[in-house]
Amino acid sequence: MSSTTPIGEQREARLLAAFVRLADTLVDDYDMADLLHELAQHCVEILDVAAAGLLLSTQRGTESLQVLASSTEQTRLLELFQLQTNEGPCLECVRTGEAILVPDLTVAIERWPRFAPEALREGFVQVHALPLRLRGETIGALNLFGRRPGPLPEQDLRAARALADTATIGILQERAIHRGEVLTEQLQYALHSRVVIEQAKGVLAQAGDLDMDQSFQVLRAYARSHNSRLSEVAHQLVSGALRPQIVLASAPAAT
Amino acid sequence: MTHPPGQFESLGPVRAAITAALLDQASGVEVVRRLCQACVELLPVDGASVSVMSDSDYRETLYASDEVIAHIEAVQFTLGEGPCYEAFHGGRPVLVPDLAAAVALSWPLFAAEMVDQPVAAVFAFPLQSGAIRIGAMDLYRRTPGWLSAEQVAIALHAVDIATLALLAAQAGTLDGDGQAWADLPLHREQVHQATGMVIAALEIPAAQALARLRGYAFSAGRLVDDVARDLVARRISPYDLDP
Repeated sequence: MSSTTPIGEQREARLLAAFVRLADTLVDDYDMADLLHELAQHCVEILDVAAAGLLLSTQRGTESLQVLASSTEQTRLLELFQLQTNEGPCLECVRTGEAILVPDLTVAIERWPRFAPEALREGFVQVHALPLRLRGETIGALNLFGRRPGPLPEQDLRAARALADTATIGILQERAIHRGEVLTEQLQYALHSRVVIEQAKGVLAQAGDLDMDQSFQVLRAYARSHNSRLSEVAHQLVSGALRPQIVLASAPAAT
Repeated sequence: MTHPPGQFESLGPVRAAITAALLDQASGVEVVRRLCQACVELLPVDGASVSVMSDSDYRETLYASDEVIAHIEAVQFTLGEGPCYEAFHGGRPVLVPDLAAAVALSWPLFAAEMVDQPVAAVFAFPLQSGAIRIGAMDLYRRTPGWLSAEQVAIALHAVDIATLALLAAQAGTLDGDGQAWADLPLHREQVHQATGMVIAALEIPAAQALARLRGYAFSAGRLVDDVARDLVARRISPYDLDP
């Protein structure tokens, strides 16, 4: 997790490397859950932020967002994302379709009386939400948290918008878009995949006495080293087709 | 994705009716009957059905609102292909606003059977919670056409209700004040994580693990969400859920 902005060229180089990698993934047969997790990590590495998450509309009305991926799977962070189901920058972003940029959360307590104090308690002072846009529709938001007050620099904002657009493409392109209604199918599938991953995290957390973030890392490392899709490994774990001990045993000295 | 408030309130009375149905008979069938009827009333569709399925060959149509949709279900189960079949196995909705245009490519056998049927559009939604897969809800209409965003939202709410009710029916948590069935936050990650923990601890299938979680919460007079939180925070052990 970088807390200093990589300056100038270094940042550009990381951005380029990230997009090359994402583009490579997108033209291949890829796992959406894995791609989005990677994207959230890129945000933290490239932008001057401490945490990043992707939230998707559940298509059940305005008041419903669900976390799809985040740079860490720490429970407290996920709760902060989730809290925005009721109020906060993400919800406003999805409602309005506009980026919500909050350089200093301490002055936003009245605006979000539940979300702002919680986020501040976790040490986050900057919060930004960028829309995941598809033509006229906003399907979700990229949520960025920073620990120091200040605006998101213009070049970071542009990079963040590009990463948000890449997330939208990643969500929608997994299966070729050949019918208009594929949006609903794809969004619902994305939400479903995430639920299976949460269940699998629970299986590994219990079997390996890990926290949820560690469980996710173990899950992901196993999928990578076995060239399997993250969501498939998760499904096998939850359905009992794959024993948690096997996944845990292959983990390089639990993180 | 902004919807005027009140669009989803239309399902409020349906929820109430379903709660009453659960109290009356504690049977999933009456629940899905009311839900299918509500779909036909609230959405521009001519029929609705709910079928339960498993990854193996088990499949049963719990309720079909008319003969046409009953036939659609039967044909798919016989042939092993079609939108509802695909929704269940793929874990994603399969929405076909113009069956004639889409069907021959995707499901040739199903297409052949639908030629003389008054079916122009089919919308199939899986009933599931992560790895817990229950079945599918299918809607059809006689004229081609897409559902609006508001109508998709209503359909998804109906899917949530059907999922909750059938999970409750399976779990046997239908007794008591009849409200407990709806107390399952389908979109809260801790509930899913806790389900996973119970699967690993008690070595039981996912559906059963969720049922234990709900049963425990119910008998302790607590919310599923709170119990899940305690499990994830290790304030209670999943072994405590073993009766």
